[in-house]
Amino acid sequence: MDQTKNLAPKGHNRTRSAVKATRPRSSTKGPLDIDDVPPALAPPLSPQTAQPVVPLGQQPPRSPGLASPLPRSAAHSPIPRLPTPRPKDFSYLLRPEIYHPLTSLNVPPPFRASSKQPSPDTPIPELLARGQFRAAAIAATQALTGAGGTPAPDSTDHARIFELLYTRLACLTLIDATALAAQEVKSLEDLNSTFYTDEATGLHLVPWELRVLNVRLQAMGFGDPRRAVMSYYDLAREARARLADATARHDNSARELWKDRLADVGVRVAGALVEMDDLTGAAHHLASLKDRGDGKMAMAKALLWLHLGDVEAARRCVKPGELGQVAERTIAALCDMADGEYEAALAQWGELKEQSEDEMIGVNMAVCLLYVGKMQEGKALLESLVDSGRSSHTLLFNLTTMYELCTERAKALKIKLSEKMASTEESPSGWEKTNADFKL
Amino acid sequence: MSHQRYPSHDAVKEPHSVSLKVLRLSRPSLVAQYPVQPPSTAATAQHNPPPIPASLAYYHDDNGAAANDEQAGRTTQTNPHPFILSPIVNLPPSFGSTYVGETFSCTLCANHDVAIPDLPAPLAVLGGADPDRPRTLSSTSSASSRTAAAAAAAAGPKNKKKTTIRDVRIEAEMKTPSSATVTKLELTPPPPVGSGSGRTDLHPNETLQKVVNFDLKEEGNHVLAVTVSYYEASDTSGRTRTFRKLYQFICKASLIVRTKPGLLPAFMGRRRWVLEAQLENCSEDTMQLERVVLDLEPGLDYSDCNWEASGSGGGSSSPTKPVLHPGEAEQVCFVVEEKGGGDGEERVKEEDGRVVFGVLGIGWRSEMGNRGFLSTGKLGTRHVKPRQRKA
Repeated sequence: MDQTKNLAPKGHNRTRSAVKATRPRSSTKGPLDIDDVPPALAPPLSPQTAQPVVPLGQQPPRSPGLASPLPRSAAHSPIPRLPTPRPKDFSYLLRPEIYHPLTSLNVPPPFRASSKQPSPDTPIPELLARGQFRAAAIAATQALTGAGGTPAPDSTDHARIFELLYTRLACLTLIDATALAAQEVKSLEDLNSTFYTDEATGLHLVPWELRVLNVRLQAMGFGDPRRAVMSYYDLAREARARLADATARHDNSARELWKDRLADVGVRVAGALVEMDDLTGAAHHLASLKDRGDGKMAMAKALLWLHLGDVEAARRCVKPGELGQVAERTIAALCDMADGEYEAALAQWGELKEQSEDEMIGVNMAVCLLYVGKMQEGKALLESLVDSGRSSHTLLFNLTTMYELCTERAKALKIKLSEKMASTEESPSGWEKTNADFKL
Repeated sequence: MSHQRYPSHDAVKEPHSVSLKVLRLSRPSLVAQYPVQPPSTAATAQHNPPPIPASLAYYHDDNGAAANDEQAGRTTQTNPHPFILSPIVNLPPSFGSTYVGETFSCTLCANHDVAIPDLPAPLAVLGGADPDRPRTLSSTSSASSRTAAAAAAAAGPKNKKKTTIRDVRIEAEMKTPSSATVTKLELTPPPPVGSGSGRTDLHPNETLQKVVNFDLKEEGNHVLAVTVSYYEASDTSGRTRTFRKLYQFICKASLIVRTKPGLLPAFMGRRRWVLEAQLENCSEDTMQLERVVLDLEPGLDYSDCNWEASGSGGGSSSPTKPVLHPGEAEQVCFVVEEKGGGDGEERVKEEDGRVVFGVLGIGWRSEMGNRGFLSTGKLGTRHVKPRQRKA
């Protein structure tokens, strides 16, 4: 833990809990509302909100029910405050023991043996563009830890370190290894700590996307889903402040950026509530958000009601003309399915399929076909989607389920499917699949 | 097993050329997605980039599809990312739990399996005893696995001879805990008009698929018995073969209903009672109450004091229906009164000094609109004498 010793300036702390909503009420104006941005908002994360980074291994036990996002007690790090700003040392993120080895055992042999497996020296951006997320996750770790020949980044090069760490964590979530990511993310400790603030500019050193991803992963890693809601609100608070700042400076592109980010975080709060199975809370929260003219909000609301089982409420979300026609009819067809009217839904999907190449429409139509006793047609439809290059987890899951239903030797069909998928072109949609995708 | 065995015409202990696979058809579920952004490459990203396609639940070609939609500015975007739920659906991943009040749906697939000769053949343990042994219906794969897998593999060498499968027929019955007899289940879709007997010929690798529905009304052990019969013809001979598989599952209580009647002062000479009920969700799923209604005996009327009446929901067009998480309870209340005027009073049914109100019906929906409905037994209260009189 030596390398973390000098991380945490300790001083007189003001706990920030007073400004944190424990459980945001959606009925009142909150930091997620774009309107009413107070023009005189202080810059985010003012320096006196110092919070120490507790070295790994010295964390006080966390109670999942506790409404505290992160330990902010200074008692565990008796470290003197550093007198002057100097380059911060992020070497604690470069330790190899943080990162789990990734096995290829859950990758079907046709992928492992494929000539498309990238060579170890392939640059990470290329790996991402090719959808080689497992390889990219490994490459990011190697770059961080200095394994595999290249030297590790300088421990003060935070931009590079965070970029690699983000790549690592994001890729883990894409290869069905979110649980590992939730462990590895713990090494970041408390991103609200002033340690992560650039003392010169007052801005956060960690890229926004990593901070957003960190919320969900740390909530998982620490087993405290409620914390995700609060952490998103923290981000939203900062986004509002930056938005106000950009507005004051008449910086339109920054304004759009922070508006987007604020809206994004707002929707993610609803997602966190869904993950906590607080569906009515999520519904209330969504109702408090504004549609941004892209129809996504109506779709999100309708899906949430359907998930809860309230088909009537889902239907009410569709106001004629507000959504694109395809989205509107998609909701209508899903409502029919929720009502058990699979024949009616099938007819709707059939008509939608004429209009759109959307993978979702084909997959949902195939599912309906199974429910009305036409699995053979459904299977053929899914196979045609595979042939046209579609490869979502859902598509493969549903197709292998049909394979299991239509023969005793489903395994042979699944292996054949995995061979077919391994021979498809690489794309940013992801190339390598796992055994679980084929139910192998 | 207490129920009768299916009379087997099948003296031959040989692997079957037809396999049976089943999948419980609960509602399909919306797929969750966790959109992540690509790592920002430029030091200062000036816009919020779209998420990595692989982090979305399905592929959507924005550019290609946009042209098809006439509405100005609106693309055919259907994915509400970064929202967690997406409109694409998954087939049921597992059997799950079954609850009283729900409709049990299941698809039955009779497949003409052509074995692959180079598959290793496990020992075939097929015979009269095995198919009749009840198995736990846990998921698709385990549901019908052993016997028929062995059958297909073991049948390999034999089936190199050309075998045709004709007149395939599926029958299904449900055995419920309390009843001594079985209920024959209707199979959908019905056979095409003109085919008569409901028998189908199956070419190799073809499937005869049926769906059965059954309203679950009792707690306890249920057994779904499926019988498949077919005519197997080879070049030289033919025979009718039959096998039967049993799938056992346990149906659990979904809702505990506690009721309490009480007397209210009579109004305009009409007797009045209050009927309270607590509805407790004892399932493992979240449910939303859709309607709670009284089905009363003649001569009685009631008014609802619940969410429909109070119009809760803060001025929205329709009231918010109560959501019950597992273990939560909702209290409902009704005022029951005699119908006024004429011979109304005489028509109120009384048995052994008891006023019988009628039954309470509760309808609910759970994930993805799955329906449940149950009704109580006859509810009532002791007839209290003397009747209160009021002008």
